[in-house]
Amino acid sequence: MSEILLEGHALGVHGEGVSIAPVDFSLARGGRLTLLGETGSGKSLIAQAIMGTLPSGLAASGELTIEGQAYAAAEGATRRALWGRRLALLPQEPWHALDPTMASGAQVAESHRYLRGLGRRRAREAARRDLVGLGLGLADAEGSLPGELSGGMAQRVAFAAASAGGAPLVIADEPTKGLDAPRRDAVVRLLAATPQRGGALLTITHDIEVARRLGGEVILLRRGRVVERGPAERLLSAPRSDYAKRLLEAEPSRWPAPPPPPATCGEPVVEARGLAKWRGGRALFRDLALSLRPGEIVGVVGPSGCGKSTLGDLLLGLTGTDAGEVKRAAGHRLAFQKLYQDPPAAFSPHWSLARLLDDLVRRHRLDRTAIAPLMTRLGLDRELLARRPGEISGGELQRFAILRVLLMEPRFLFADEPTSRLDPITQRDTLALLVELARERHCAVMLVSHDPALIERLCDRRLVLGQGEAVLAPESLDAQAV
Amino acid sequence: MDAINARRFGSRRFPALGAGLGRVLLPRLLQAGLVAWLVGTLTFVLTRTLPGDMAYRIAAGRYGHDMVDGAAAEAVRTELALDQPALLAYLSWLGDLLRLDLGRSLVSGAPVIEELGHLLGHSLGLAAVALLLSLLLGPPLGLAAGLRPGGALDRVSEAVASLLRALPPFALGLLLILLFSVSLGWLPAAGHGRSAHFVLPALTLALALAAVSSRVARHAMVEVSGSAYYAFSRTKGLGERLSFLRHGLRNVALPIVAYLGVQFVTLIEGVVVVETLFAWPGIGHALVHAIVARDLPMIQGTALLMGLLFVALNTGVDLFCHGLDPRRRQP
Amino acid sequence: MKLSLALGAAPADGWRRLSTRRRLGLVLLGLLLAVAWLTPWLHDADPARQQLTRILESPTLAAPLGTDHLGRDMLARTAAALRLSLDMALLSVVSAAVPGILLGVIAGWRGGWGDRVLGGLADACLALPGLLLVLLLAAIAPGNFWALYVGIALVLWIEYFRVVRARTRVLVASPQLEASRLLGFGPGYLFRRHLWPELAPQVLTLAAFGAASAILAMAALGFVSVGLRPPTAELGLMMTELLPYYHEAPWAMAQPILALCLLVLSLNLLAAKETK
Repeated sequence: MSEILLEGHALGVHGEGVSIAPVDFSLARGGRLTLLGETGSGKSLIAQAIMGTLPSGLAASGELTIEGQAYAAAEGATRRALWGRRLALLPQEPWHALDPTMASGAQVAESHRYLRGLGRRRAREAARRDLVGLGLGLADAEGSLPGELSGGMAQRVAFAAASAGGAPLVIADEPTKGLDAPRRDAVVRLLAATPQRGGALLTITHDIEVARRLGGEVILLRRGRVVERGPAERLLSAPRSDYAKRLLEAEPSRWPAPPPPPATCGEPVVEARGLAKWRGGRALFRDLALSLRPGEIVGVVGPSGCGKSTLGDLLLGLTGTDAGEVKRAAGHRLAFQKLYQDPPAAFSPHWSLARLLDDLVRRHRLDRTAIAPLMTRLGLDRELLARRPGEISGGELQRFAILRVLLMEPRFLFADEPTSRLDPITQRDTLALLVELARERHCAVMLVSHDPALIERLCDRRLVLGQGEAVLAPESLDAQAV
Repeated sequence: MDAINARRFGSRRFPALGAGLGRVLLPRLLQAGLVAWLVGTLTFVLTRTLPGDMAYRIAAGRYGHDMVDGAAAEAVRTELALDQPALLAYLSWLGDLLRLDLGRSLVSGAPVIEELGHLLGHSLGLAAVALLLSLLLGPPLGLAAGLRPGGALDRVSEAVASLLRALPPFALGLLLILLFSVSLGWLPAAGHGRSAHFVLPALTLALALAAVSSRVARHAMVEVSGSAYYAFSRTKGLGERLSFLRHGLRNVALPIVAYLGVQFVTLIEGVVVVETLFAWPGIGHALVHAIVARDLPMIQGTALLMGLLFVALNTGVDLFCHGLDPRRRQP
Repeated sequence: MKLSLALGAAPADGWRRLSTRRRLGLVLLGLLLAVAWLTPWLHDADPARQQLTRILESPTLAAPLGTDHLGRDMLARTAAALRLSLDMALLSVVSAAVPGILLGVIAGWRGGWGDRVLGGLADACLALPGLLLVLLLAAIAPGNFWALYVGIALVLWIEYFRVVRARTRVLVASPQLEASRLLGFGPGYLFRRHLWPELAPQVLTLAAFGAASAILAMAALGFVSVGLRPPTAELGLMMTELLPYYHEAPWAMAQPILALCLLVLSLNLLAAKETK
């Protein structure tokens, strides 16, 4: 007995510069549907079209059937009566979706009070049960303001607030954005509970792993068009379309095994002994010792907030140590460079790339002729030079950043999640180039990532920074090839 | 479950109203001290830069021209400590200020404190009516405009606000006088006593304040209604009215109230010129008179009182924000 | 040829990027500037010369905007008052902006005790409402343009300081600055390429607002007779002087009010940011 909760007939979106080609889908009680696609594929617009919250300038077309009732997609206002009661939306970035001036508990309780008509006291109790049920200690969440919650906690509070009205149909819009792997998996478990209770779940995500864990049907979108659709188990293991194949191959766990690391030789470019750094009264790490040789690629993994970036700052000399010492190879002051997580943030947005490169060449009297071949290697078109950093894609700009640091003939490069904002295919290409060029030029690289599989495929050695009270597990930094 | 119910909802972590009050009051107390020192020092410098025959002229002003003799001028000179070395005089000047001994008016001869008592009431009355009027005019209009940014109301209110902001309070007051008193004859132009006298000066100040606060409210409303939490409140199912009441109102009020602190500068400055224009017997009027007449103790007293009024009003705003925004009460 | 094309293109391009409001403000300010500085060339009359036989005359060919209660030429006086206001605005804005920006960058960049001292100084200047401070300084040196100027500049510099300090502090901690520093660029470069492009629009807005405040402050003090002294042609003072003759010569009364409002309006329009 599969009662259909949500059905879309030729649901499309069009307007200012975007269009989503009409798509059909249906979601039965207990069903899971995942819209998978990279940023800019327009997948969030589909959620907004269903809710009826498209920004002005965009219009939906097609038909929707929600619990047997037909709606014209273009008339967004008709779904308002369903909000919270039949149709729940779990928002992107829950941190911003919670009222910053109201206690978290009250934001859950108000849903119980006004949607289910409970009295003030009973609504409070219901909210309390919700939060406890989601594994949030009362002291943690109930009286706290959203600004005091961690990303994972805020996500759970938002989930409780959105689902308190008892809506059977839940739409989750990028629910794992900005969460690290363990927290992401916790959110996925939370979402999976909805269909298990007899509801239905529509998830919108860019994360293949989320789609895989949720199961159900997957619709793969690219540039507003359906590329492929089918059951998650099939599509995510044996894709038929070209794009799906490339996308899956770009997952780090499927990258080809790395070649054996070349024998590293020469004096270490950077060494640390007895390194310690405290933040807020606790040690991020202490008694850390490491040494990097030319051409070596070392991965750094660990949960967010464990001090990965701080370690980089210490090695680059951007911040002081609390104990221990860092020794950099002498005579190469400018050969210690960094790649940033968010490429546009690492450039002044007001000048053309040609101007910025020219500044660098003049400042250090560099060889201008080295630029053109390097640009070809990095797959950067000459025309891009005339543009400003905000006017080219993130992948291109990160390759410009690589070009910029390579001109300095670096000995050590700290790459702080350099591809986490890029789509998987671009990520793979960019990292492969980075590693290849670094090896060729005998530059040691320390690569930070939240993805252990990625580190495993690329790096010669791995450094694990610990959790909580935590300290580096020193044995994990031996010379073993992972 | 009982154990849970036993505790008041959220009482443990949610910041109580009194939390962190010291952080609000201490800087303001410091500011009050700074105001006193600044006013005291500036008026002291004033006493030292008086032209030589000033004591005679002040004495003439006080006792009449026929009565002035060396002794009377000497009395004034002693009162202003013009016969003492600068540093000593400065210290005793500040000492007097510290004891709230503001001296006697050189013009009327009455103690400054007494004079200030009368003046303060009049000024406070005017400021309060003006502020209330501006709050009734500005924010509601701004909120309505902010609900439909780019709409007719938004554009008209923006144009009017731009014009009003280009008109300084004295020019605005002048135009109001010319219109309502001179041309139409509806309202008295100047003076004090009847409630009709309140209308024009209060309206002048209120319009100047509302021109700004309506725009602040408009931007706050646009900001809040475009925020993710406002959208979430609506998709959560609370509906327009409840969303506005529970998540809109407080967040919109915060910037409006916070901006009041900035507007008090306009209010205090406005009081000086508007009282002078409408011959309103308040502190601002008295300050201008004292400056023209070089009545030093009165200059000090009125400037001090206005400065302290400014600090007190700002403290009020701080306390209000403190109560409104739980984030400010966090440790 | 190519060069002249490029030169011609640049301002036109800048003009196109301006919002309607700013264009309007620029045109208005240009007109007022023209009136203020072209009048002495085109209309030969001394703003201070009294002609008691020709008081409160309506506009004529000899006196295009009429005469005041002492028979002085109104066009010459209004233009002179505009020049005075604009001089005050320019002087006080420049002398407030330069130290304000400089100290703001230093405080935001270096932090530490210097930052705290400067921050305290700014707070001290703000303890009193600005006009009150100017009033007390004006009382020390009555009728003196320079006392007014010092007071106004003393109030105005704080705004530059605060805005620039806050922005600098954010930028100094930003990846873009860190990246350039790692690439070996010095403070001059960092200021030119990273800080200034971010600060310039805000400084421009502050300058326009500051100019308006300076003009208003001087006029307000003139209006309540504690600013500049007669016979100076000053907008606030002119309003007070002409108020008693409102019935006989409304056009004379209207001139300083209109001049002041248009001046402030043009500056406010220039300062306006894009609103959504």
